[in-house]
Amino acid sequence: MGLYGPPNAGKTTLANKISMDWTGTPVGTVSEIPHETRSVQKKERVIVKSDGQKIEMNLLDMPGIATKIDYEEFMNYGLDEKEARQRAKEATRGVIEAIKWLEHVDTALVIVDSTEDPYTQVNITIIGNLEARDIPVIIVANKIDLKGSDADRIREAFPQHPVVGLSAMTGKNVDDLYKAIAKHSR
Amino acid sequence: MDIELEFISSDVLSGKKPAEKMDFLLKKIKSNKIIVVEESLSSQEEALLIEATMKQISKKFPGVEISTLRERSADGFKEKVIKMLGGRTGGLTVIGPSTLVKEMRREPQRISVLAGEKAKKKKSR
Repeated sequence: MGLYGPPNAGKTTLANKISMDWTGTPVGTVSEIPHETRSVQKKERVIVKSDGQKIEMNLLDMPGIATKIDYEEFMNYGLDEKEARQRAKEATRGVIEAIKWLEHVDTALVIVDSTEDPYTQVNITIIGNLEARDIPVIIVANKIDLKGSDADRIREAFPQHPVVGLSAMTGKNVDDLYKAIAKHSR
Repeated sequence: MDIELEFISSDVLSGKKPAEKMDFLLKKIKSNKIIVVEESLSSQEEALLIEATMKQISKKFPGVEISTLRERSADGFKEKVIKMLGGRTGGLTVIGPSTLVKEMRREPQRISVLAGEKAKKKKSR
């Protein structure tokens, strides 16, 4: 199961929540600086139980997919130029790696920040590629604990897929995600 | 500041292999133009364009802004078949360098682009 989405949508926070709930150990580190996950992070043999079903999976936390990576943005978070350029270089490789993995996942969670406009090209490209390969998609409208969050806007944008509104940070509604995984994953 | 827009007929792209198509589009974008293509790129082509962009990112070229409008009937498998048979899927694609495009907003049937010279970013240290 691959966790896809743009940078800072909360993919690693959610991967950690799932992994902590079912294995007791996290997957990766979380940061407010975009592109913290710059290579695929894998947690093997995660067994999710819900509604009497048991789903065993390898959880793949993907680098965030973006159409631009400007090293100067990282400098706004306190990185010096050398660190920022290195981070940008690694981030470009991460995006390529995440795209290459699109054809190898069995099921995808697409993590969307529910406080933001869902009609972004990155969201549309990710979902379109998964649909073209007939890979089951569950959309996670994350950050419902934040002011301005609107999970219904995500449902309207992607009516063809199940949408679960949750907060990976607080754990709110995460059980609904486990039910959706049990129901829709391949 | 002058902004150059280039409208490209789908005939220009027809017959090009996906990699050639991406090279062609990126070359235009890197020459600081916003291009409007008379067809929607497929999802796979969008992913290829992102991959090709990532390989070319540099200090001067931090990436692209892209938006595609598709005809509802031309999604997924149907889109693939139409393209394989040499047909046009309709729709359009707008792509520009992120140094020039300040904002590209997409709604289901509309794309709006705000372009101009970007203010130099403030650095924290």
